[in-house]
Amino acid sequence: MADIAFLLIIFFMVTISFEVDKTQVSLPKTQIRLEVPKEAAYISITGTGQIRVSSGEEISVPVPGAEDVLSFAAGVVAADPTRAFVLKADSAVPYRYVDRVIDALKQAKAEVIYLLSDQETLDQIQGQEAGS
Amino acid sequence: MKLNREPVSDEIPTSSMADIAFLLIIYFMVTTTFAATRGLDFSLPKEDDSQPLVEKEESVLIEIQPGGVLLVDQKQMPLSEILEYLKPKLERNPMKPVIIRPNENSEYGFMVDVFDELRQAENKIGIQIKNVSIPTQREIEMFWY
Repeated sequence: MADIAFLLIIFFMVTISFEVDKTQVSLPKTQIRLEVPKEAAYISITGTGQIRVSSGEEISVPVPGAEDVLSFAAGVVAADPTRAFVLKADSAVPYRYVDRVIDALKQAKAEVIYLLSDQETLDQIQGQEAGS
Repeated sequence: MKLNREPVSDEIPTSSMADIAFLLIIYFMVTTTFAATRGLDFSLPKEDDSQPLVEKEESVLIEIQPGGVLLVDQKQMPLSEILEYLKPKLERNPMKPVIIRPNENSEYGFMVDVFDELRQAENKIGIQIKNVSIPTQREIEMFWY
């Protein structure tokens, strides 16, 4: 019994991944969803345009504006040029907020960006087609 | 006087081991979060690839207006018809650039919807759209005007 218990402990210890960003956002829904690399920097944008950043190692911190994303991203790229960036933006946020963040990442020479999304289910797709 | 001393055991007491183990299991089970770690990859053109932005005339421009209205080459079109519209153009030129240009006040979700639809081209119409770009406002100002 104790052996099985320890096996389970080891399993959970290995698979545990502490979420660096706990911002609650309603992600956009897509049909194509690719695995995001584990060691990635996170940038989250809430529905009201508040931005939080995390280099992937510590809990995310709020930043006042998109200009600060540039200095943050430049620092991350300088430390690890291949580090992926994950953009966790609320689907209802006006695009100009996202635009500024993506622009900052481009200026910081970030190579890989992922747009975090939820799975779009079949009935949502049919509903969308019926609506359009 | 006779002392009634218990014999001292020389073994580590392991009877509570399983309890501790289960406590740890419960701790890890509760704290494990299967985080939403999937999304669309939005790779950026490399700096040395040059050709930062293609000319407006040759490309297909998809404008997204606030409220999710799509204008494809100035014509209004529902999302489900975009790929059909692009198909003949891509058959002629597989490298045909497709530019997504969301209005600054349109919602981010619509941009992702369009991007997702374009990424599914290979499954839906059998042609991969190789050249999708979403220029930022700064790039538009730098290269187009």
